[in-house]
Amino acid sequence: MKRTPFDTFKFILRKVLLTVLAAAVLFPLFYMFSSSLFSSGDFNNVSILPSKAVWENYARVFGHRYFFTYIFNSVGTSVLAAIIRTAVVVLAAFALTHLRFCGRKAVLMALVLTLFVPQEAVLYQNYRTTAALGLLDTWAGIICTSLFSAAQMLLMMGAFHAVGTESYDSARIDGASDMRYITSVLVPLTTPVVMTVALQTLITVFNNYLWPLLVTDRPRSRTIQIGITMLGFAESGRTGAQMAALVLISAPFLLILAFSKKGIERALVRR
Amino acid sequence: MKPVGKLKRNVKAYLFLAPALILAGLFCWFPAFKGLVGSVLTISSSNQVKGFAGLSNFRILFSDKAFWNSLMVTLTFILFFVPVNTFVTLLAASLTRRKSRLSFIPEYIFFAPVAISLSAFSLLFREMFRGTASVANRILGTDLAWITDAPGAMATLVIIGVFLDLGIDYIILMCAFRSEDKNVIEAARMDGAGGWRLFFQVELPMIRETVLVTVFLALKDAILICAPVIILTEGGPFRSTETVMFYYYTEAFRSGNRAVQNSLSTLVLVLAALAMVIFGRTRRKK
Repeated sequence: MKRTPFDTFKFILRKVLLTVLAAAVLFPLFYMFSSSLFSSGDFNNVSILPSKAVWENYARVFGHRYFFTYIFNSVGTSVLAAIIRTAVVVLAAFALTHLRFCGRKAVLMALVLTLFVPQEAVLYQNYRTTAALGLLDTWAGIICTSLFSAAQMLLMMGAFHAVGTESYDSARIDGASDMRYITSVLVPLTTPVVMTVALQTLITVFNNYLWPLLVTDRPRSRTIQIGITMLGFAESGRTGAQMAALVLISAPFLLILAFSKKGIERALVRR
Repeated sequence: MKPVGKLKRNVKAYLFLAPALILAGLFCWFPAFKGLVGSVLTISSSNQVKGFAGLSNFRILFSDKAFWNSLMVTLTFILFFVPVNTFVTLLAASLTRRKSRLSFIPEYIFFAPVAISLSAFSLLFREMFRGTASVANRILGTDLAWITDAPGAMATLVIIGVFLDLGIDYIILMCAFRSEDKNVIEAARMDGAGGWRLFFQVELPMIRETVLVTVFLALKDAILICAPVIILTEGGPFRSTETVMFYYYTEAFRSGNRAVQNSLSTLVLVLAALAMVIFGRTRRKK
């Protein structure tokens, strides 16, 4: 097809549109990095770039008495939740796809229908349960409502179905126990799905805001998502340090994303 | 098979299912049931059951002006957020749907917001939209009070909402575009369909399903929005950003209003179930 001037015009229009949109999305991220080096004067002047890089902002964050406690709590709870939830989901999906037992349909129904109950609608009741179990201000309290996901169980069941039960039957004849079959055959065969479930959980729990806000009260037990709003920098006129804290919790994920983007696309694009 | 073997098999299966069943029971079915029962009981703020209430809890909820206000606020938010979010993500995905040598740059930029957490975005935008002497005004060339002004606060919330959903919606849509059957597109091009027509009549209809999923996700997020309100506006100015979930949060955890908390919880459960059924129907029909 020959290019008409109109085609060239459309081509340029598309590029301009793309540039404007990308710039609009990029700007807040850019500003986050830029303003993490601002002095308080730069904030008053509504600058875009720092007049002089104030690295002290980062030193202030590192020097904050609770910053590393918050990070430790966040990393600890999200890793723990990822491990437990993945195990719970794998065990349930295994039983529902590989074992025959009474009430299988009912159990499946009871678990899948939890999709209809948004956590937000039962926030207060869950808070009371957690308090009654004595789990306020503990890691267990922070993660207890995130340890099962019906959506992920369905995903896992799909993967286990694809593996089929032939290898299970032959493993049974060879005398392998169920646990052994799960750990040495089923999980290795479905590693991409297992990893997806674990990673999804890790990110969800790490980014949780409302629930940890409700169940933690002492600074020592807060996660970074709550803690970062309570550092007190912005209130004492040190907005630069507040921005530096935002950079510090976002940068690792921006890096991880850059490396995992290809893999995520490969998983999502069907050919 | 012998009955003993059968029993053993059942016990084993339930052992594997026990963690999932206990968790689902304790943190999903039990609270949902308690909310349903609690919505027809009179309960004091210290959680003492005082008696049967019939529908009076719902009457209390429906006669609270703040509830209707929060409903209107949430509807307003949905009205702006869902179309804007769908338009922006679809635009970003369609502009980058063809792979090229440099396309990884805009792809990464549109995907990057996934890495920024909800509270980080809220704090960042709180700073960027802080009053008239703000970066937002400088960049946009406007002179708005943003967070301290009712329409401005709503606009800020919508913008945050878009940034929170952009990354994930973008990657889903972009990958859907790239999964399309190249032969169909080639055939349409041979027939002389190009540019706009090719996009609107061939490519976009092919990913209709996926677009529907992202719209549904956006709708869910819009209905349940609460955390950015807590960090950014605390429902203000003058309750203009007090969404339904923020209203629930303040009534349940700050005022200890059991009537409102239980009846609203029940209402949300019923609506969520209804929404899921409708969504399932539309997807099956196709």
